Amino acid sequence: MSLAEIPVGLDPEGVAVDSRRRRAYVACSRADYVAVVDLETNEVVAQVVVGSEPIDLAFDPATDRILTADAHSDTVSVVDAETLELVATVDVGMYPSGLTADHESRRIYCGNSLGSTMTVLDLDTLETIATVEAEVGAGAIAFDRTRNLVVCVNFIAASATFVDTKTWEPVGRVEVGSGACAVGVVPERGEAFVVNSLAGTVSRVSLDDFTVREELAVGSAPVGLTVAPAHDRVYVSNRGAGTLSVLGVADGDQWAQLPVGEGPGGVVVDPTDGRVYVANAGTGTLSILVDRLSGPPATAAVEERHPLIGAKLPEFSLLDFRTGERRSSREWAERKYIVNFFASW
Amino acid sequence: MILVDIWEGTDPRPEVERFCEMWGIQGTILLDPDAAYAQALGIRGVPTNVLVDSDGTVVDVGLVRIEELEAAVARLVG
Repeated sequence: MSLAEIPVGLDPEGVAVDSRRRRAYVACSRADYVAVVDLETNEVVAQVVVGSEPIDLAFDPATDRILTADAHSDTVSVVDAETLELVATVDVGMYPSGLTADHESRRIYCGNSLGSTMTVLDLDTLETIATVEAEVGAGAIAFDRTRNLVVCVNFIAASATFVDTKTWEPVGRVEVGSGACAVGVVPERGEAFVVNSLAGTVSRVSLDDFTVREELAVGSAPVGLTVAPAHDRVYVSNRGAGTLSVLGVADGDQWAQLPVGEGPGGVVVDPTDGRVYVANAGTGTLSILVDRLSGPPATAAVEERHPLIGAKLPEFSLLDFRTGERRSSREWAERKYIVNFFASW
Repeated sequence: MILVDIWEGTDPRPEVERFCEMWGIQGTILLDPDAAYAQALGIRGVPTNVLVDSDGTVVDVGLVRIEELEAAVARLVG
């Protein structure tokens, strides 16, 4: 059930929740700031300028810091959550796009897409502990402390790299679907769930032998994933469908597919109350949802037929990017064609 | 294939130029900067493909996976 949809800024991607202050922090990548959302009033109360194109974001309660991966600056920005001032900027690899904090081990992992590496930072001192070779498109990261493993997924290589946290050496890899861009781990099952945006699937990957056990169906163009606090389900944002899939961990079934804002991406759950937060890049909003499913539903979710199917395509008159001239749908009359809607982010 | 760029938030031209250069995209690209046309069609995300028959009827919407799209195009062209 949707509780709210809050305007936050241009192209919001990464999101984190500060449970103590009842705030959400959202990386608005096209606006180069972090939107600070008061979750009592559902309003943006501050905009903190960080590096260029902040894509992913993490919050560390112990140091009371917000960290962003700034793709165009090749940096991680560090913001004091009390004063909301930028307090440090740390150089990482080329085009950092994924950021995951391990609060217990006091590390933060940054996936550098064009550097094909993963930077490991000390969460307290912000010093670089290691730079680990991954593959091209390295981005989203998850960890399994029980196995001393970090999983880094590589968007362009369509793979996942497994790294030993004692040696900081890669210990395995697996090919997943194309456009791998998000990952979550369920340690007690020895499984990682990797979102493949272009393949339109979620790969269930073994953390013991680094193999794909199963491909799971979700909505169109999935790009974000987070594991529910009970570890019985994962939430997957579907950028193409404008929905959030609830995917059962044990059965691999899609329990539900809920509408959110347009072009959803970053997704996170507040472990204190189970609320789900989704950043919608298309609408520039943050959706807040509550999941009332106690378990698998009696019937699996079915994707509804789009209402446009069977109808005449409404006429359009739009500017041509290359010529600047206005083009009308009448030019394509009596022809078979495809209209592909896209965004550059 | 007609590409329609939406939801850039800022001036779409430099963003589209950079995107096309990065991915080697050619062909017709139209700009729908405020996504008004996309919204009129009920488009809720990107990418989304809309397949149109020669009489102007929409025969499919969505189709992000390449195998899905190929199959739908095969059906469309008969």
